[in-house]
Amino acid sequence: MIQLRNIQKSFGNQLVLKGIDLTVNKGEVVSILGPSGSGKTTLLRCINFLERPNEGEVMVDDFTVNSKQASKKEILTLRKKTAMVFQQYNLFKHKTVMENVMEGLLVVQKSSKETARKLAMEVLAKVGLTEKANAYPVQLSGGQQQRVGIARALALNPEVILLDEPTSALDPELVGEVLEVIKRIADEGITMIIVTHEVSFAKDVSDYIVFMDQGEIIEEGTPTVIFNYPKEERTKRFFKRINREAGILESNLSSVI
Amino acid sequence: MQIDILFIFTALIEIFKALPLTMIITLVPLMIGFLIGIGITLIRIRKVKGLYRLANFYVSFIRGTPALMHIMLIYLGLPLLIDKLAGTFQWAFQSTSIPILLFVLMALSLTAGAYMSEIIRAGILAVDQGQLEAAESIGMTNFQAMRRIVFPQAIAVALPNLCNIFIGFLHTSSIAFIVSQKELTGAANIVASNNLKFLEAYIAAALIYWGLTIISEKVTALLEKRATVYNRGGVA
Amino acid sequence: MDITLIIDFFPKLISYLHITLLILVAAVAIGLIIGVTIALIRIYKVPAFNRLALIYISFMRGTPILIQLFLIYFGLPALLTLVHIDVSRANPLLFVAITYGLSCGASFAEIIRGAVNGVERGQTEAAYSIGMNEKQMLVRIILPQALAMAFPNFANSVIGSLKDTSLAFTIGVMDMVGRGNTLIASSLHALEVYMTLSIIYYGVVLCLEKGFSLSEKKLQRFEGSLAVDTK
Ligand SMILES: Nc1ncnc2c1ncn2[C@@H]1O[C@H](COP(=O)(O)OP(=O)(O)OP(=O)(O)O)[C@@H](O)[C@H]1O
Ligand SMILES: [Mg+2]
Repeated sequence: MIQLRNIQKSFGNQLVLKGIDLTVNKGEVVSILGPSGSGKTTLLRCINFLERPNEGEVMVDDFTVNSKQASKKEILTLRKKTAMVFQQYNLFKHKTVMENVMEGLLVVQKSSKETARKLAMEVLAKVGLTEKANAYPVQLSGGQQQRVGIARALALNPEVILLDEPTSALDPELVGEVLEVIKRIADEGITMIIVTHEVSFAKDVSDYIVFMDQGEIIEEGTPTVIFNYPKEERTKRFFKRINREAGILESNLSSVI
Repeated sequence: MQIDILFIFTALIEIFKALPLTMIITLVPLMIGFLIGIGITLIRIRKVKGLYRLANFYVSFIRGTPALMHIMLIYLGLPLLIDKLAGTFQWAFQSTSIPILLFVLMALSLTAGAYMSEIIRAGILAVDQGQLEAAESIGMTNFQAMRRIVFPQAIAVALPNLCNIFIGFLHTSSIAFIVSQKELTGAANIVASNNLKFLEAYIAAALIYWGLTIISEKVTALLEKRATVYNRGGVA
Repeated sequence: MDITLIIDFFPKLISYLHITLLILVAAVAIGLIIGVTIALIRIYKVPAFNRLALIYISFMRGTPILIQLFLIYFGLPALLTLVHIDVSRANPLLFVAITYGLSCGASFAEIIRGAVNGVERGQTEAAYSIGMNEKQMLVRIILPQALAMAFPNFANSVIGSLKDTSLAFTIGVMDMVGRGNTLIASSLHALEVYMTLSIIYYGVVLCLEKGFSLSEKKLQRFEGSLAVDTK
């Protein structure tokens, strides 16, 4: 279980997160939606302390880290329990696909080479990239790189995988393959928190939807409730706009999902 | 350890008098080298038959050997050639009447030419091919386009490198002391041995070189600001 | 002038090449240690030391290697007499190695710093996100990429140092050029000696360039087809 309690974060004197509370149960997929600049990325990065919150607590499993007194060691432990998939993939450029996936296993989890290799091969099979195991990131398409990014996170068997707009840097024709992989691992019962603008994907994959605006959670609930019966005016407006914009894309996305 | 701080000041003043010669040994080769560099660059970019390989070898050889070698080869070799020519054509003229400084300047010009050509070439290659095409599209000849459009932009790109080569040659000029030129290092050497205060004299020389380098870095920073403002055109 | 003398001088001079290379290797080794240290000080802006590092780099960049050589040659013994160490009879090679090491250190420091700063921020974050600590992140992710990026500049700097070794004879080192000067004294054929020296230097530089470009390809192979050789 992941629990965020009163997460606050400011940059300079701008309060970007105004006290976020959120609980994610084991095996749940939670999608965070919201307009640009609402603090979604910041919230995600606060969960693994890539951004240190000014206030509040992050609890993963039974391990609690308090923003005020977190030691380096506690932050490391927290990060070992989480993994992240980045918008820009951020694969280690000087390492092959295989090495990217093995890196955390070898260095952080101290697995043996054989164990790491075997596990890496397994997750690469899951994202459909076994034949690219020895390629370098530059030799891959964006979609393939992002699938490696997912494999790298998955290999660590974390309590939760944090995904920040995993498809928004991709060409439209590559979005499908990545969403498909995410969907597949969601079905395996991996806990995930996904920031995304792909509304129909979120509808399909999530157990729970969180809608953020201006550093606050405005509305949350199951997809059925949020998408069909949004209460808040801001949520309604957001969906209306998204639907209008996505109307054209919708058709080719639904063929994938 | 005994350091005569006061003597450093005395030395500073004494050595500083050699600054004009250092500037000559720095700037003259750079200016001649700039012209050589343009010639070499044109030969290399246009792939002029026959000369192309020679130009490549020249650049590669100069960059592959110490500047001391260039000075020595010219200083020792050119007089032989001149005397031979003088003998053949019965000139009433001997190489010994040529001041050593002239050989140093010639040698370092050749050195500078090779490095300059690399800088100019990099600058020209950095200018967008579209600039040349645009200039030719409005009816300029290739030469006009190069001179009026590509070249000014290339120089702006090359500015930091030109500053570096100035500093490089300011320092390279110090080897002229090996063929007994009384530039900054040569002067420091004289002050040092006349007073038997080697450390003090060289500290003074170091301070002068250091100061000159810092000044040229500051000047470049200013120039660079102006060059980029000009480059940004209307936005500034 | 007698061109055939070059054939005569060649073996005599090249038998001193190892001294020249020894100076170079020592300088690069010392330079790497200093360079990495100073680069880290600069990157982490270690208080006080950062200031010193800046002055050190500025001074090395601001003065000719010849002057640096003289400063070390005359200054170091003077400095060491303070702690009662007498190096006045030490091999001049020692002073040369120290000078060239200090000089390499300054340029390596700037090259490394530039390369480390050139590694994308996302690489650091990815390393942290999988649970690496700072040291692991630095050693396993940032430095390998930075070194690959820094390599061409590093290679240039090493070749520059090789050429600078031609000045070591001024404090009486018996390297190739030093030996050349004794040959001149005995044979009175200075031009041929310098021609031979030039040929040897040029040969060594060409070999180094070849070696460096091969290692560069290997080091930067992860840059893949994007790093097409434009030469
Ligand atoms: N490192 C930073 N320094 C200063 N301000 C920042 C920083 N990171 C984010 N912000 C600000 O915090 C606010 C929230 O940013 P955040 O990136 O979390 O939004 P987001 O919801 O992820 O937006 P998007 O959908 O565009 O990715 C924005 O106003 C942004 O300008
Ligand atoms: Mg974001």
